[in-house]
Formats: sequence, structure tokens, C-alpha cells
Amino acid sequence: MNALYLAFAYLRYHWARSLILTLVAALILFVPVATQILLSTSERSLLARGDATPLLLGSRGSQLDLTMAALYFSDEKPDPVTMEAVESVWDSGLGIPIPVHTAFASSGFRIVGTTLDYFDFRNLQIAYGRGLSVLGDAVIGADVAATLGKGVGDTLVSSPENLFDLDGVYPLEMPIVGVLAATNTPDDQAIFVDIKTAWVIQGIGHGHEDVVTVAEIAAGSEAVANAAVVQYQRITPENIDTFHFHGSQDDFPTSAVIVVPNDTRAATILKGRYLDGENPVQLIEPAGVIQGLVDRIFRIKSLLDAVTTIIAIAAFAAIGLAVFLSYRLRAREIATAVKLGARKGMVLRLLSAETITLLSISIIIAAIGASLVAQNAESWVGWLLSLGA
Amino acid sequence: MTFAVRLLSTLVIAISATFAHAQDKPRVVTANYPLQYMAERLLDDAADVVFPVPEGVDPSFWRPSIEDISAIQSSDLILLNGAGFSTWVDRVSLPRAKTVNTSAGLEDQFIVTESITHSHGDGGEHSHEGLAAYLWLDPTLAIAQAESVAEAITARGLAVDIDVGTQLSALRTDLEALDALAETSMVNLEDTAIIATHPRYQYLARRYDLSITSLEWEAGAMPTEADWTALADLVAQTGAQVLFWEAAPPAEAMDTAADMGLENVVFPTLAHAEGGRDFLESYSEAISAIAGLQLR
Repeated sequence: MNALYLAFAYLRYHWARSLILTLVAALILFVPVATQILLSTSERSLLARGDATPLLLGSRGSQLDLTMAALYFSDEKPDPVTMEAVESVWDSGLGIPIPVHTAFASSGFRIVGTTLDYFDFRNLQIAYGRGLSVLGDAVIGADVAATLGKGVGDTLVSSPENLFDLDGVYPLEMPIVGVLAATNTPDDQAIFVDIKTAWVIQGIGHGHEDVVTVAEIAAGSEAVANAAVVQYQRITPENIDTFHFHGSQDDFPTSAVIVVPNDTRAATILKGRYLDGENPVQLIEPAGVIQGLVDRIFRIKSLLDAVTTIIAIAAFAAIGLAVFLSYRLRAREIATAVKLGARKGMVLRLLSAETITLLSISIIIAAIGASLVAQNAESWVGWLLSLGA
Repeated sequence: MTFAVRLLSTLVIAISATFAHAQDKPRVVTANYPLQYMAERLLDDAADVVFPVPEGVDPSFWRPSIEDISAIQSSDLILLNGAGFSTWVDRVSLPRAKTVNTSAGLEDQFIVTESITHSHGDGGEHSHEGLAAYLWLDPTLAIAQAESVAEAITARGLAVDIDVGTQLSALRTDLEALDALAETSMVNLEDTAIIATHPRYQYLARRYDLSITSLEWEAGAMPTEADWTALADLVAQTGAQVLFWEAAPPAEAMDTAADMGLENVVFPTLAHAEGGRDFLESYSEAISAIAGLQLR
């Protein structure tokens, strides 16, 4: 008890040196632990997205591009598949196909055209406002809302695909009707619209000023339009009834299709149907693709672990040297203590108490830091991964 | 006093239980009345079957409010007619997993109406193909739709205590009987030109080999002078002897048509239920009216 009291008094007297030693030791302990937490959370997060997406249907080509576009809404643009692929899965009765159209962006965030089934599938909850209801509605992820400072009642405008394509895709103004609760997944970084709205952005569906009403179309009455008809860039309650689509929906595009099979047997049957290399459509398991990517990334981790170990050994050696040198500097002080009647054991206890106190405080600081990282790892990793996308 | 308290408690519990039971029932939304009728026949009391389009509004061109859409989205099954019947479907977000197009397997039997051709920008001309949508007026197509409804109900496990197969058999028998009755009665219209007040009877005409020319009159309203002129012209062109009214018009309108030498038949298209009668009753009544016609 006396030794601890004297050690603490000594450390307090030499507070600057004690503080530096404590912080350095705390950092040496904290960095590898925090790195480990962040890396394992990243791995878990990456794999979880893949594991949560049983099957992915898309055009034959790079499986990684397809996975990144459909799961992480990256800038990759895999060749689209037609909605006929969606219908064929429906017709098979083996699973639920969820189209994901990611060809367009707005304010730096990807516009994800999909069906309401996506929200149920990912268990996305509306934090403010309401879900998608009518053509043109947009529901934004939590990060989109925070970054753009936008919310329910504001609008977003789709970015033109090509600045020089003046006759091509028209930008569409979309009202924000809902903001999703944060999930720490790429969904936080997405602008969700009905896939039909994505087709309107693409120019497949459009409204006209004064040509023919949908009522007339459905009734089959004849109407011939004059040539230069202005297309709307905003869907309003006044013009929504004039919006219509050309051609068969089976021919409309989607970037990829998430397929949720009914069971393992259904998944196996479905996979078997797309094995033919001549088939322009492929069905992949995103978990396998992500696992491959993670394995590649985490090969660097072992190198990082070795470097961290070497640095930690070197740092501890440096601390040991510093402590040893401080003992040498305190030789006269120790000699005085011996002359006052302190035995060698007492001196050893005093020095040990100082070292143990320093290390204990360092461990406590490192543990607090690590627990803070662990608590926020999900959101920090989500943010870091979204930077990559 | 004690008895009264007990009785009150029992009533409260019974009402609560009934309410809770009602809340637990699956909810089915349909795009028109025939689908509502089919779903009710197949589900009996196992689900709440709702046709949300208000009376007097054409379900083909209904525009649901955000509240309507929210209610539709939250239902367990959404039964659509297909064939372009509900134009609102193209402009509303629906959960595909809960939505069933009851005519998806009938596309090869659709009747294509006139096309509309137009162009805009530099995109060149393109066409909108129109489709006749009142499939159920052909009972054989109604049977196919009922089968599709039954399949959807079974696949989603909505009928817990009901044998949907048995219910479907009964419905199929009724619709087959209706078809047989119609076939017999429509013989009366063989080689007879018919005019309809609205172009809704394409599938009926095809099924029973009827020759129907259509006008574009407002259902149930008194025709205008221009309407009467158009009718007179059409009668002169076609030699029509029968006029199908989509909905009963004012008596005066029927008298005027009769004066023009036309036999009046009110043949409801049944997109909405008519006059408190169910699908079979309304259809049978129209057939009986046709069977009773005294044609020249």
C-alpha cells in the first residue's frame, strides 16, 4: 500500500513523463485491437450483405461488377437484362425476383429503381414520411438525407446520362416522400424509386401535354398525335394520368435481379437453369463472389498483423529502454533511499509499483478506446465501405 | 345487478374477440367486381375481400388516393384483371410478390382493339395497342380467371379452414352452367345486328358469335341529340334490332330507342356490382332478357 502510494506520488510529480509513457503504451495496445475490430466488422459487414442476398440474376459478364452494382450500388454498369428474366422466375414459382435498376444517379447518389418487395426483403423501415406510392416518388437513405440536407417535401433531379445527348434521357424531378431509417448498409446511400420511375428517366415511359389520354388508349379509340410533343420533366397530379409506357414490359431493362428462392431445392433448380454458358443471363451466388473479394482483400491483413506485431515489439522495447534509463537517472535517488534504510526489496517494490500503475492506466485507456471503436464499428465501416462504392 | 355486469362483460369479451378475429383475417383487394365475387366465393369468410373503387367511378380509370394506395399495398393479395383494365396500376407502386394478374395465362386470347399512333421528339412514330379488358363477360375466361385466383390464394396460404379446390369446383360448375344458358339464349340473336352503348362486349360477342357495333355513350345517362343521331345512323348502316345498354338509362331513353325499332336489353358489364345482385344473378338476368326478345 505504501509502495503504491509512493509510486503514485512519484508519477504525479513527474506528470509530463508519466503522461507520455502512459499514452504511448495505450496507443501500442489500442491500435492492433482497434484494427482487428474494424477489419473483422468490415469482413462481417461485406459478407453479411452477400449472405443476405441468396441469388443474383444478371447479364453474363463480370460477376464482381454485377454484385457490386446490385448489392453496393457502385458505379459499375453491367449490361442490363430484360424484365422477361424476372417474369421467367415468377413463372417458375421457385422464388421471388426483385429487379434492381441502378443505371442512374442524382446528386452523386445512385437511383435504385425496384419494386416494393425490396423494402420487405431488406427489412427497410421508413423513419420519416411514407413509402413509394405513385410514379415519380423517391425514398432516400439516411446518409443521402444527412449529406444533402434534404428530407420529405424536397425534390431530387436525376443526372443526365450524357451531357451531349440532348435528345436522350430527360432529367426527372422527383419529390422525396420518405426517408429510411439508418441500416449501416449501402441502402443508406441510395435513392429508391419504383422501377417504373427509372424507366421514365430512361425515356421508356413518358407523359404528353395534349395528345391522347390513357383512358382513350385503353378504350381503343383512335387518336393521332402531332409530332413535336413536349415531354414532362416532372410528374404531377395534373399530368400523371398522361404517363404511359411503350412496348411490352417484358422488354424493359433492369441492371440485375435479386432472386429469393423458396428453399434450398428451389435454389438448386434455379441455378441449374442458368448453367449454360451460351445463355446471355447468369445466376450467381453473391456470397461466393464477396467471399472471393474479401479473401483477396484480407490477404493484406496477415501482412498488416505482422507489421503491427513488429512495431509493437519495437515500441515496447523503446518503453523498456526509457524505463531502464530513467532508473539509471534515478540511481542517486535510489541510493538515498537505501541509505535511509530501505531494503533492496522495498526499492524493487517501489519501481514495480510505478511500472504497474503506468501500464494499468494505459490498459484502461486502450480498453475505453477499443470499446468506443467496437460500439461504432458498424457505422464507421458502413461509411468506409460506401466511400469505396 | 351481478347478472347485468356478467352479461356486459361477456358481450365486451365477445365483441373484442370478434374484432380481434376480424383483424387477423387476411385482406384481399380486387381491381373489379367480378374478381371480388370470385375471391369471395373461393374464400367464403376466411378473408376480407375488398373492391376499393367507389360506386359510380369506372374502375378502369380510377385514380386511387395515397390512402387508397397505402391500404392496397398493405393487403395480403392484390388481384388484377390484366389486359390493361386498371390504368392506375402503371402509375402506382405495388408489391409484386402480393400482386397477381389473373389473366396472365390468357394473353393469347386477348382481343386487340384499335391502335393509337403518335410521335414526339425525334423518336419516330410508335403505337399504343389497345386491348379489350372485360374478359369475364365470356364465362369460360371467367373460369380461367377464377382458377388463377384460386391458385394465388392457395400459394399464399390465405384460406386456412377452407378447401379452395372444393370452392373452385362449385364456382366452375356455376360459371359453366351460366355459359351453357347463355349459349342457348344467344341463339335468339343469331344473325341479328346489335348495337351496344359502350365498347365493352368484345369477349361476349366472340364467345357467342354476336355481331355488336359500339357507341361511346355515358352509362346510365340520358343520351344527347347527337347521340340519338349517331344511333340512327348506325341503325341505318347495320340494320340493328337490339340495343345493349351498359346500365339502365331513364325510361324515356328506352322508349326513344324502342320507337327507332330497337329492342332494349340492359346488359350490365359488371365492373361494379349491379343493384344488389351478385355476378351470376346479374348475368343470368341479362341472358333471360335476351331469351325473351321477340325479334322480327
